[in-house]
Formats: sequence, structure tokens, C-alpha cells
Amino acid sequence: MGWRRGWRRKLAFLFTACVSSCSSAAEEDQQAQSKKALKKQQKEAEKAAKKAEKQAKVAAEQQSAEEDDFAKDRYGVSALVQSQQKLDRKLVRVQDLTPEKADQLIWLRARVHTSRAKGKQCFLVLRQQQFNVQALVAVGDRASKQMVKFAANITKESIVDVEAAVRKVEQKIESCSQQDVELHVERIFVISQAEARLPLQLEDAVRPDGEGEEEGRATVNQDTRLDNRVIDLRTTTSQAVFRLQSGVCQLFRDTLTKKGFVEIQTPKIISAASEGGANVFTVSYFKTSAYLAQSPQLYKQMCICADFDKVFCVGPVFRAEDSNTHRHLTEFVGLDIEMAFNYHYHEVIESITDTMVQIFKGLRDNFQTEIQTVNKQFPSEPFKFLEPTLRLEYTEGVAMLREAGVEMGDEDDLSTPNEKLLGRLVKEKYDTDFYVLDKYPLAVRPFYTMPDPHNPKYSNSYDMFMRGEEILSGAQRVHDAQLLTERAQHHQIDLEKIKSYIDSFRYGAPPHAGGGIGLERVCMLYLGLHNVRQTSMFPRDPKRLTP
Amino acid sequence: MNWENMALRELSSLEKYLGLKKPNKYSTQGDKKVPVLQNNQGPPLVGLITIACHLVKEAKRSNLLGESAEGRAVVQQWLEYRVTRLDGCTKEDSKTILKELNIHLQDNVYLAGNHFTLADTLMYYGIHPLIVDLTVQEKEQYLNVARWFDHIQHIPSLRHHLPPVVVLRNTIYTSRHH
Repeated sequence: MGWRRGWRRKLAFLFTACVSSCSSAAEEDQQAQSKKALKKQQKEAEKAAKKAEKQAKVAAEQQSAEEDDFAKDRYGVSALVQSQQKLDRKLVRVQDLTPEKADQLIWLRARVHTSRAKGKQCFLVLRQQQFNVQALVAVGDRASKQMVKFAANITKESIVDVEAAVRKVEQKIESCSQQDVELHVERIFVISQAEARLPLQLEDAVRPDGEGEEEGRATVNQDTRLDNRVIDLRTTTSQAVFRLQSGVCQLFRDTLTKKGFVEIQTPKIISAASEGGANVFTVSYFKTSAYLAQSPQLYKQMCICADFDKVFCVGPVFRAEDSNTHRHLTEFVGLDIEMAFNYHYHEVIESITDTMVQIFKGLRDNFQTEIQTVNKQFPSEPFKFLEPTLRLEYTEGVAMLREAGVEMGDEDDLSTPNEKLLGRLVKEKYDTDFYVLDKYPLAVRPFYTMPDPHNPKYSNSYDMFMRGEEILSGAQRVHDAQLLTERAQHHQIDLEKIKSYIDSFRYGAPPHAGGGIGLERVCMLYLGLHNVRQTSMFPRDPKRLTP
Repeated sequence: MNWENMALRELSSLEKYLGLKKPNKYSTQGDKKVPVLQNNQGPPLVGLITIACHLVKEAKRSNLLGESAEGRAVVQQWLEYRVTRLDGCTKEDSKTILKELNIHLQDNVYLAGNHFTLADTLMYYGIHPLIVDLTVQEKEQYLNVARWFDHIQHIPSLRHHLPPVVVLRNTIYTSRHH
């Protein structure tokens, strides 16, 4: 209520002030000014005195510190590595730090994962990709108090060069990958310092979601990860995922090469939309426009007509689909296969499924560490498959769905929920996560699909599923120009737009079939993850163009 | 949902199940079209539950109303549940109801004790539209309700006006997501 009572007084005061200032303004001003100035000067003098005192104290401390620091050239921030010198020094990998190296003095370069001071000791966890090891800086004859303090203050994620003695430990260090040894640090230098505030904490980024909720600790949401991908990719989980992905590509290439396939490269800037006009990116091409390829379909087939017999290609695929789902990206890596066959397109299905099985086996046998690492954060059931691969006919799939209470027509396409349900039913009945559904209804397939010779309602086309989600759509292609024209007309496609495509079959074309898979989707489903962005290093979707 | 027809169709189904030779003629009253049975023996009977209990007694199948005093009380409780909680419930309510039923049916074969009663019949009729809309995964989630439902719908001559609902014998959803 003060302001209410005071307002009259304030007004009066202002009034008086105005009045008085008019009369002896200059004089009083001067006096006021000098009073203010004096006060200000005093304050500043005090401040300066205090500052000088502090500086003197710090200098004194520093001096005494330096005097006592016998270890001062065994630690510090190194000068920027500009290739000043060629040091003939061997750096040991963290994963090789085993009891066999006990008592050896080694150098290594790693990141500081955590650093924690405890009295006269500092515990560091040094990390290199998926591996980490505990390191100890303790006050003693090799390290001084100042060195321990320095080590404790190194920011997380900084890269350090460390010289240390490898020591066996009696109790296993559960929290590190190298559980049987620890490093006793003799020298530690910072090679590249990380800024103190990290956009996300690596520990939070590998915490399983459930654990985060239960213990009330932070986990990192997907957008934050993707915005700071460089740091997110450092986590053990990300390292494992992308090493496995590299393995998939490797196994794909190796398996097909062994089968006599030739790897081809197809153009991505094309003149006409290959799959259909709707979901294609347009680019300006000098004075006209061009499109980014939605699939290498056209060129794969042209290679077959050019007598390459069996081809595959690994390359980007661009789909301008405005779908914001867990399994769609606008740009992804397509692994495509096309193969001429002798008499029946099942020869091609067998080739494709065998390739997939070889990939699954290769992952199972050579990437167990990676699979286990991913499962730590994202638990899932191991991927199961049968040999030879299970192949069901479309009509059988429909029957199974109807038995489970789903109502659908014979020629209806499978909706995504029905695909997933069928996947569960197949898993329950046959115990496999991978199967082929053969002889799809003709009505729901693209115009270049070869119709079934015995039943015009069906086609020689197939889909392959992993954990109930579609990973491959393929078919025997129409290799006759006449029939192709009829099918295109039936689908009401402008013949002018596909003239060069139809022409490629006019000069002798072998019967052929093929299909393509998405690398990211296959990795996601193999590992039992739930979002394709987890298996795409720098994903592209309708809402994301960076990093 | 056309309540008038549903209630009358239920009563007609019940008559068939009970083996009553002569079907009764019903009328309805009020906005909610509550069924009414006019009979010669006294004032008219009003309401699905009242009429259903009467039909049971008429067919001399009083055991369907419960075997003991406690049993009879439990049966009446479920009949009340049917008209007060189940009929006309919202989407959210239906989830609660399914959860409650699932817990109750965990160690009970039938709703009221160890025998089939009118409570099972009328609850089956009432819950049918809910069960029809459940996905396979949801039916597994409310496993006990699905088991009870499948059992009741297979009782001979009970399921007259209602289509059968497929309930799978084996669980196909073992993990959280897929």
C-alpha cells in the first residue's frame, strides 16, 4: 500500500525538484555530480584493490604450485597437431588391452568418456568406438597433485594421448568392455579438447528407454540425436549398428559375385519417372527438368537385354513420398537384383532368397558382438529364418488371415496391419521371421508385371517379408514389347512417356525377373529396431534435410 | 446401435435357447425403447433383465439364476452390470470394462461361480459388439475375456442372432512390439 500513500509525496517532491533545479541548477548539479563522482571513484578504487589482492594471491599460489609440480612435463594440452613431426610411436588399441599385456608400458589415443576425481586419485574411462577401459591417475612418484587435478578437469569427449602401465585387476570391472585390466597413467596429453557443454550426453544416449523411465534418468529423443548426429554416432550402439550395416552390403556383394552376378552402376538423373509420376523429385537440368531415379528398374532390365545376364546394383533411391512413418525415408540405399532365367521365375526367387539367407548367416556368425551391443539398448528376439526359405502362395496367406477373423477379398492387396498380422501368424505356425509370398493378384501390381499363365487374376510376382514387414517387391517382368504395350494401355499409362522402355524389348530380350531391398529397412528389421532412422546415418525424410 | 431391436432380438434368442415353444409378443416403452411384456398374470414386466429372469423361471430353468443365495446375488449383480455399465458405454469405458472383466475371469470359468448362468448369456449378448472390433493383439491382451467369450459363444443354441467371432487358440504376440 506504500505507493498509494507515497504518491502525493512523490509528486510534491518532483514538483519541488523541478522548481529548485530551475533556480540553483548549475550549482547544485555540480555539487551532486562531484558527490556522485567521488562515490564512484571510491567504489572503483575498492574494486581495483580487491582485484589486485586476488591476483597477487593467485600468482603466489601458482608460483608455489609450479615450484612443487615435479610432474609438469608429463601432462598438459598439446599444441595443435599440424604434422610437426613424425613420431615413431606405436599406439595400442583399447580392444587389445588384455591381461597378456600386463605390466607393459604402452601409449594409446582415445576419448575421455568420463573423469572422476576422488581425493588423491582420478578415475578416467577411456573409450575407442565400442571399447572402453578404466584408467587411473594417482598422486605418487609419477603423478603430482596438479596432474591429478588436470586429469579430473579434462572435458568429456576430449581426445587424449596416454602413456600408461597395463595392470591386471583382481575384481572384474563390469562397466567397461576391457574388464580384466586397468591403466595406470604416467603421461596424459590433450590432443583435441571438447567444449565443456555437450549437446547430449553419451551415457543418456545409450540408456534403454525403459530404464530411463524407471530410474527417472534422461534418455535422448530421436530428434536431438539426429540434430547432433556426429556425437550420437559415437555411442557403442550406433557404432554397432553401422558396422553391421556395412556387413550387410559386404555380404550382398560377396554372395552375388560368387553366384556370377556383375555389379552395375545406373544413372540417378533420368528423363522420365520410372515407377509412376506421383512420388518423384524434380531437378532443374540446364534449360529443362529431369528427375531423380525412384529405382534402377529400367536400367537393370536394359542391362539384361544387353546380355549381362545377372546384375546387381547398390545405390541411392529417391522417393518423394510425403510419408512420415517409422519405415519411410525420402532417400535410401537400394540393393537391387535382376536376373535372366531359363524356364521359370522361381529360379530367380531361389537366387534371391539364398542371397538373403547368406546375409542372415553372415550376420549371425560374424557380427554377434554388434548384435548383442544393439540388444543391450534395444532388446529384441533373435532373427529366425528357415532353409530353404518358406514360400507361401498369396491365396494361402489370405486363408490364414481369414481364419484369424480378417475379412478381405481374393484380389485385395494386403494392408500394412494385415501384413503384420500375417507375419505373426506365419511366425507362430512356421517359426520363421523371413518368408516369401508368391503369386500376388495382378490388379495390385505395376504394369510391367508378367501375368500368371494359368490364372489371369494372378501374376508371377512376389513380396518378401522380415518380421511381418515388406522388404522386397519383385516379379517376372514382361519382356515382350507387344504384351507390354497392352498392359500399359490397360493401366492407362501414356505410351509416349515409356516409348524407350518398350523399345528396349524389341531386339530380342531374355525372360527375366528381379527385385530390390532397402538397406536401412533390412538392417532395422534384422536387429528388431523400430525406426528406420536408427539405421540411416544421416536420414532424409519430408521434415529433415540436415545434417 | 438400435436398442429396440437388439433387446428384442436378445429376448427372442433367449426364448429359443430356453426351448420355450410359444414366442412372446413384446412392445416397447419410452425413448430408450425398453422392452415390455404384457402377460395375463398381472402387471406388465418392464426391462430386459426383468423379462429375461421371468423367461428363465417360465422355462423352469431357475438354476440359471444361481444355485445359492450368494450365487443368485452375484448373478443379479452381473445382470445389473450389463444394463448400467455395459449398455451404451463409451470407447474409454469399454477399455475399463474389458480390463475389469479380464481380472475377474482370471480364475473364474463363468461370471457367477462355477456354472453357466443367465449372467453369462446376457453379458455375452451385451459385450459382443465390443469383441467384434478388437484386433487379434487386443484379444490377446484381454486373454481371459477372449477365452470366456469363445467358450460361451460355442454353447449350443445360444448364439442365434450374433455372428461368431474368431478367437485364436495360440498366442501370436509374444514380445512387446511386433
